[in-house]
Amino acid sequence: MNWEQQLELQAWIDGELSARDARRVAVFAESNADARLLVDELRMAKAFISSNETEVTVPETREFYWSQVQSRIERAESVSETSSVLSWPFVWRRLVSPLSGLALVAFLAVVSFNTFRGPAIDDSARFMVEVENLSDDVGSISYRSQSENMFVVYLYKKDQDADSDAQTEPVDDSFFQ
Amino acid sequence: MATQPEKPDVPDDRLVRRAQRGDMVAFEELLGRHRDKIYARAFSMMRNEDIASDLSQEAWVKGWQRLKQFQGDSSFVTWMTRIVINLCLDQLRKQKRQRAESIEHLDEELGGVERQMPVVTVNPTEGLERSELRARIDRALNLLSHEHRTVLILHEFEDLEYKEIAKRMECSIGTVMSRLFYARRKMATLMASYKREEMG
Repeated sequence: MNWEQQLELQAWIDGELSARDARRVAVFAESNADARLLVDELRMAKAFISSNETEVTVPETREFYWSQVQSRIERAESVSETSSVLSWPFVWRRLVSPLSGLALVAFLAVVSFNTFRGPAIDDSARFMVEVENLSDDVGSISYRSQSENMFVVYLYKKDQDADSDAQTEPVDDSFFQ
Repeated sequence: MATQPEKPDVPDDRLVRRAQRGDMVAFEELLGRHRDKIYARAFSMMRNEDIASDLSQEAWVKGWQRLKQFQGDSSFVTWMTRIVINLCLDQLRKQKRQRAESIEHLDEELGGVERQMPVVTVNPTEGLERSELRARIDRALNLLSHEHRTVLILHEFEDLEYKEIAKRMECSIGTVMSRLFYARRKMATLMASYKREEMG
């Protein structure tokens, strides 16, 4: 008798087989001596176990047992109430967190776009730099080229002709900004 | 919430309906009637008084919390028994994760041990007083692993089918069949050995 046949015999005893399989296994159980012995043992075990469950009783009195159950119920209910009170801010936080994250991303996108985009042609006024000359002897003429990214300041002595004797002194753009 | 004491002849389903409306006195009466059965099921599975007491109390708490879900498809006590069985199975799964599997246990799972056990041909329970018979069965049940005992309890005491046991124990039907086969054969062998002890 192989392992599958043994398990089939048990399934037959337990009424777990289809009618067709049950008929087949019944024939096998009748015709095989080992199968008959095994079936008898399994039936006997099934019978004495199922009809003889040990009777045990709760070791505590009914009142004490109930008081313990009742206090557990009350504890569970108070925890449940607390969590329901806390649940509104929790739900609100869960709702607001993604929205605020989204708003932050949008804000950063706008800021970075404004910061990093190239200056428009007609936006050159933003780069106008006022050069204040406090000297009585030296005059200055400034020139800024946005396309060349340069800023030039001509310094000249006030008592000389600006065109003939001017000193050219290119200045770093960033110095004035 | 009603507070009048219960009459013992009030049927369970009436008490359940009242308890479903929040009547704790009715629920206490249900507990008074069925606490031993619920505790006994927990004890038969866990084999420990403290754990059985704790889990059976937990079952009553869950019973109260889920009472509105009880539709009356089965009796109240059957419904409560299912709750305590599930709690016990959860507990056994936790314990199993914590303990190392013994070689014997692995052998049983592979279906090797039960094939070597000789078939018991003489009824070892014949002539025994009921109390003595129950004591011996209890002693033998103690020697089974949790898995084998649980399958036996669910099948023989709770009348669950293989499929239902497999679902509850989160294993295959083949495993249920194998465990049940081993458990029955082991019980028969142990009962025969107790008989021999008595004779010798």
